Amino acid sequence: MKTLVLESPGSPFVAIRVLFEAGSADDPRGKEGLAALTGSLLVEGGAGPRSYAQILDALYPMAAGIGVHVDREVTVVHGTVHRDHLLPFYELMRDVLLAPRFDAADLERLRADQSNAITAGLRATDDEGLGKEALDAMIHAGGPYGRPVEGSVRGIAAVTRQDVIAFRRQSYTRDRLTIGLGGAVPDGFAQRIAADLAALPERGPDRVPLPPPREPRGLETLLVTKPCRAWAISIGFPLDVTRADDDFYPLYVANSYLGEHRTFNGLLMNAMRADRGLNYGDYSYVEAFVQDGLSTFPLPNLPRRRQAFTMWIRPVAPENAHFAMRQAMRLLARVVRDGLTAAAFAETRDFLLAYSRLWVQTPARRLGYAMDGAFYGRKNLVDELQERLRDLRVEDVNAAIRRHLRADRAFAAVVADPEGVERFVRALGSNAPSPISYATDTKPEVLDEDKEIAVFPLPVDAERIRIVPAEALFETAELPAGAA
Amino acid sequence: MRPASTPPTFPYPIVETRLDNGLAVVAVPVDSPGLAAHYLAVRTGSRNEVEPGLSGFAHFFEHMMFRGTPRFPPDRYNDVLKRLGADGNAFTTDDWTCYHVTAAAAALDTVMDLESDRFMNLEYGVEAFQKEAGAVLGEYNKNHSIPLNALLEKLQDTAYTTHTYKHTTMGFLADIEAMPNHYDYSRLFFRRWYRPDNAALVVVGDVRPDDVFALARRRWGAWIPGAASLATPVEPEQTGERVARMPWPTPTLPHLALAFHAPAFDPTDLSGRALDVIAQAEFAPTSPLYTELVLRRQWVDWLWAGAEDHRDPTLFLVIARLKDPATLDDVRSAIEGTLASAGANLLPADRLAAVKSRLRYGFLQGLQTPDQIAGTVCTYLQLTGDTPSIDATQATLERVGAEDVRSSAAATFRAANRTVVTLAHAPGPRAS
Repeated sequence: MKTLVLESPGSPFVAIRVLFEAGSADDPRGKEGLAALTGSLLVEGGAGPRSYAQILDALYPMAAGIGVHVDREVTVVHGTVHRDHLLPFYELMRDVLLAPRFDAADLERLRADQSNAITAGLRATDDEGLGKEALDAMIHAGGPYGRPVEGSVRGIAAVTRQDVIAFRRQSYTRDRLTIGLGGAVPDGFAQRIAADLAALPERGPDRVPLPPPREPRGLETLLVTKPCRAWAISIGFPLDVTRADDDFYPLYVANSYLGEHRTFNGLLMNAMRADRGLNYGDYSYVEAFVQDGLSTFPLPNLPRRRQAFTMWIRPVAPENAHFAMRQAMRLLARVVRDGLTAAAFAETRDFLLAYSRLWVQTPARRLGYAMDGAFYGRKNLVDELQERLRDLRVEDVNAAIRRHLRADRAFAAVVADPEGVERFVRALGSNAPSPISYATDTKPEVLDEDKEIAVFPLPVDAERIRIVPAEALFETAELPAGAA
Repeated sequence: MRPASTPPTFPYPIVETRLDNGLAVVAVPVDSPGLAAHYLAVRTGSRNEVEPGLSGFAHFFEHMMFRGTPRFPPDRYNDVLKRLGADGNAFTTDDWTCYHVTAAAAALDTVMDLESDRFMNLEYGVEAFQKEAGAVLGEYNKNHSIPLNALLEKLQDTAYTTHTYKHTTMGFLADIEAMPNHYDYSRLFFRRWYRPDNAALVVVGDVRPDDVFALARRRWGAWIPGAASLATPVEPEQTGERVARMPWPTPTLPHLALAFHAPAFDPTDLSGRALDVIAQAEFAPTSPLYTELVLRRQWVDWLWAGAEDHRDPTLFLVIARLKDPATLDDVRSAIEGTLASAGANLLPADRLAAVKSRLRYGFLQGLQTPDQIAGTVCTYLQLTGDTPSIDATQATLERVGAEDVRSSAAATFRAANRTVVTLAHAPGPRAS
């Protein structure tokens, strides 16, 4: 059991985050979704003397909630409350952690919600999320990272109340626990929580090691078909570094240069959106990334034992999908070949040094970053960047690029309308030219470059292009073979 | 520690001035070591899109504001922000447009230089204009697979006949597709609305108000006033229920939305705050309806209600997402029964007190960072033109009594004032 306390006396709020190193990576085969369902039922299934409705009643006037965040490696029970209400709030949270009721009716409600999140959410109405999950399913095929945290439709259906009780007992244990407190933390409060949570079991079974990721052969492409007006594209490959490794930090700089999330810093965003108006945005990542709400900052508490390099190409008109894939891969190839110039490196480093300071403005976010640092055996990401980037040289960045990035093999997931798929597959498989035309004026230098992009050879093996209807994904733990 | 019974008002000092050109400048010093948020609010949004064929233009124009000036072409603008490590972006709503940059407080002068330059000297060619129209269409496309967006689009289109709230901030698709043709209009749009007498500057963070005002005078003082005033068409009173259905091509959960015309925002209007209380008391997760539909019967997985504050008369919305289309009629009658009961019965005192506490602490919870504080101050400034409206609104909320709630419900939730839109899976081409 670890305890982290980050006081900010200026804040009238207290943030509590209780993290267990247990997540969807621990789901047993055939019960995919168990970790997520255990987490949601923990906070929405009643606790101690109260039903879930009674907990809601008690929390309501405080304008506070007890939330849960389940990811592949962690389950975090969290809440932020005004100091006026800290003690009654904490007592509710303590009951949730130590005396959950796991009411059967709530289990059925949450089971339906979790299943609907796949069938009616991800597969039907979230094309960009679907593309990302499909890419993960290719990179981590057969492994527990290869499916959504929500699990599989059949796995969710198979979970019993006894499974939930057993998962909690085995996984929410002291050896996997970090208690985080931030903001206006009163004296003695950390000790009180630690003493209370000492009632949790000491340890559970060892965590199952992850199977090795799959290596792509050329550009392996999966078309996920559903009715859609524009096509979402995700491209990526497994990465052998995380925040625990020294090479992660120079790669972080390289990635910011290629595709910093939702800024006009990245090559992808400038070339694809600003110069060509292809779509709303184009970004890249060297670790799992979820945007925190409406901000552009990374959501904390997505630590992973294994990471991937990914590019997120937001929906493009179907006739431009082939061109967009070519342009993204060509820009990646250029970074792999040329690296960063000294000037580009200095700008990117300075950007990250200042920008990362904006990521920790609330007690809850500061805590989240500190907890992630502890997961990797490092300081929080902001402090690691502050310390490491000052001494970093452009040669270090370019050497890290050569060691870990490449453009000759990758996985690609494309969410596509069934109507255009056959033509697209033929063109992709034969590396046919994909010229682009604009209804609008375009700069001559852009038009010149377009001619090169339109014939840029993608390392596609036509035999390894697969087509799967969206409704076939995440039925079970396996990625369906699909049609060739 | 503040006793829980005392209503907290806005918890930070607000210091303000007005420049000679009419620009309102507000400084809010808060404990945010080394950081400052710079927010420029233009009091123009899709509400002002009165000309036919030009819906969505306020949002499109927000994109154009990133297309540069002679001093700071887009690359250079971005390079400066990049060097500062700033977080900068913009958003557009029905009523206003916001341009925000958060960075080191020491960089405030640089940020003001950069920001004021584009409001005075924006310059872009036809090519950049047309490429940006592609990005806006891309934004529409990325939202297109989400049923809730389509539902709201249909709801506004059905509930309004005349007022510009008939279209969403994104605009009608046909108008978005025609945007590349309207270069000249974009210049007119800039001259009409991007004026200091139609804007407000809010700076929040580790700053001293006197320094902020001195910098503002230097950087924003030369901006030339002259905002247009175009009448927004008045929505006639609705005299009968309106109904629309949306088929959806993929297996989504069915959505049900009810909308009722409601008053424009007024910080002293009890009936408007009473609607906030109703939204909480009757639809929040502790309400009897939520308990029945979401927790007990499990027919609904998401239930939301509320009237977003607007400059012109707005809509009170109730939206439910259902797990099974077969329960649609039952869910609708449960919602209508709740609304009718709110107009006939008085809210118990303890429930009213809990709702007020919830709204007070929720308001404070949303004021933790310079961005959140600046966003809140801008919201009230654009709604009313002043900042005392922030505390006035909270004070009005405190004065709401059970009879105010009942009478506001009775006046609003009439069948003749109702629009109902349903969205459900129906294979085949999507209607638009």
